[in-house]
Amino acid sequence: MKPLTALKVLVVEDEALVSMLVEDMLSDLGCVVVGPAAELEEALRLAGSADIDAALLDVNLGGRPIFPVADALKERGVPFAFASGYGEAGLSEGHKGATVLQKPFREADLRRVLEGLAAQVV
Amino acid sequence: MGLVAEDGIDDLTARLAMAQVALADEIRRSRALNRIAEALGAGGDAETLVQIVVDGGVELTGAQFGAFFYNVVDATGESFMLYSLAGAPRAAFENFPMPRKTEVFAPTFDGLGVVRSEDITQDPRYGHNTPRRGMPEGHLPVRSYLAVPVITREGSVLGGLFFGHPEVARFDARAESVMVGLAAQAAVAIESVRSREAAQVELDQRRDTEERLKFALDSGRLGSWELDVETRDYLASDICKANYGRRPDEDFGFADLVASVHPGDRERMSAAIEDAIRHGAEYDIEYRVRIPGGETRWVHARGRAAQTADHGGARRMAGVSLDVTDRKRAEERQKLLVNELNHRVKNTLVSVQSIASQTLRTTDSPEAFREAFEGRLMALSHTHNLLTEQNWEGASLREIFDFELEAFAARERIDFDYIRDLQLSPKSTVALGMAVHELATNALKYGALSTPQGRVQVVWALEPASEPPVLRLTWTESGGPPVVPPTRHGFGARLLEKGLARELSAQVNLAYDSLGLVCTMRLPIRALEP
Repeated sequence: MKPLTALKVLVVEDEALVSMLVEDMLSDLGCVVVGPAAELEEALRLAGSADIDAALLDVNLGGRPIFPVADALKERGVPFAFASGYGEAGLSEGHKGATVLQKPFREADLRRVLEGLAAQVV
Repeated sequence: MGLVAEDGIDDLTARLAMAQVALADEIRRSRALNRIAEALGAGGDAETLVQIVVDGGVELTGAQFGAFFYNVVDATGESFMLYSLAGAPRAAFENFPMPRKTEVFAPTFDGLGVVRSEDITQDPRYGHNTPRRGMPEGHLPVRSYLAVPVITREGSVLGGLFFGHPEVARFDARAESVMVGLAAQAAVAIESVRSREAAQVELDQRRDTEERLKFALDSGRLGSWELDVETRDYLASDICKANYGRRPDEDFGFADLVASVHPGDRERMSAAIEDAIRHGAEYDIEYRVRIPGGETRWVHARGRAAQTADHGGARRMAGVSLDVTDRKRAEERQKLLVNELNHRVKNTLVSVQSIASQTLRTTDSPEAFREAFEGRLMALSHTHNLLTEQNWEGASLREIFDFELEAFAARERIDFDYIRDLQLSPKSTVALGMAVHELATNALKYGALSTPQGRVQVVWALEPASEPPVLRLTWTESGGPPVVPPTRHGFGARLLEKGLARELSAQVNLAYDSLGLVCTMRLPIRALEP
């Protein structure tokens, strides 16, 4: 398991205020923020090639589902969690059962989710 | 011997003559009877039949008057309607009230039997009808009287045949027996006409009912259908066919029906039909159908299997179908809206959380926190008001400025310069609303709007020759105190330069020009527009 400090986390979030909060929380936890990406194309690019350990994905990116990004991460073996106001109900069939961080969330919730993701990092 | 013989011959001759008269009479009667029977057998309406019987009766009995009274029971008691008559003008009967069941008529209308009288005026039952005594005024001058009830085989009295003659003893036993036979034939004929008429009435009523049903179905855009359970013959109305995208003249059988149902719903539909047939369950189902041309529509079908005792199971199933595509789409839209609302509420809560958290990081006192936090919360709230007014379809750039600056006393010191206003998506409306609030708050606290002379100029225009198109927006402050770059990177600057830039794929630059702050935004149109 990788410690949270220095964990490189890709953040995909299209709303400025929300991504700023997540950035702050991740920084407080000692993580390195990659992104945040607000657009699907940018998110796909980073998910495919950036140096990352884990990812936190907003399910709805300006009306477009995030799932192609999740698929790309799965392919690379990068653990990720969804952040969503819908909870698990907002997930597509292929991603049911994935880790979901229900919005709004506390820093402690984010820490727990990240620890879960970090445990999967080899 | 000769005398005897002569006497005998005379007697024989007389008897022969009598026999010949009787025979001729018999032949005449029997021919008349045949003719009447034939006429009755030929059918026609009830009135014609009764007229044949009355005329025939007059002919056969040698009566002067003949009439048929129909047995009608009305609400006030018994009344008898004149049906047909012979030998007297109708006016002769119109002068006196409907015959009532007096003692004379009672045996006939009650179907008790024939009344034959040599002289009805001598009959003890005659004239007992109070207040009249004897022959009513204007009454036909009847002495010989023959009345035969007309009774069906089931025993109900249809009416009575009445014959009269002004002279006494005109009707003999033969006349009586002939009339009894005729009455029986008349009963059969009238009954068959009645049942035919009743059948016609029922048919007309059923046709009316079907017309009304069809009208109701058509008005409600309801299709109707029938399915033969064994042969799977399927009969669909025009509207029913239309529900599956078929024209009225197109064939649409059970196999076509099943094939039109969306593969994902087909099994459920078949199971529901089987359940209705086997267990008499209510068939009530909504399924998707694919109409020719590829469009998917929704159909709501309801029906029931009709049970027949002789078969021991359902033979046919019938029901209605309704195109519910519009309702289904409305439901889907509503579901989407509820999900969207939930998404927005949750995101708004996170936005508030974010504002609180960042305001806390950049203020020094609870008072400062409160002032800044409340201002930002109000800005967010203003933007939501604006969006709600516009049915969450977005707002124009100018509207965003007007709304966010509404609470600012210095709003008349902000000048606008643009050629064309721009319609923005809800998401960019929220983002820019927050940005405008931060710029205005900063100007009011530290910038041009903190002094009475300061002004702000807002200019926007499409950048020339940029492809894809980019909107350049500048917020230029002047006339304020000398500007110094902030020592601490505040929430506003971060939101503009980082958050807004990222969210709208924009470039945002804050220049702390000595004359005043200049904020320049390069906003790609595709990220702004709905």
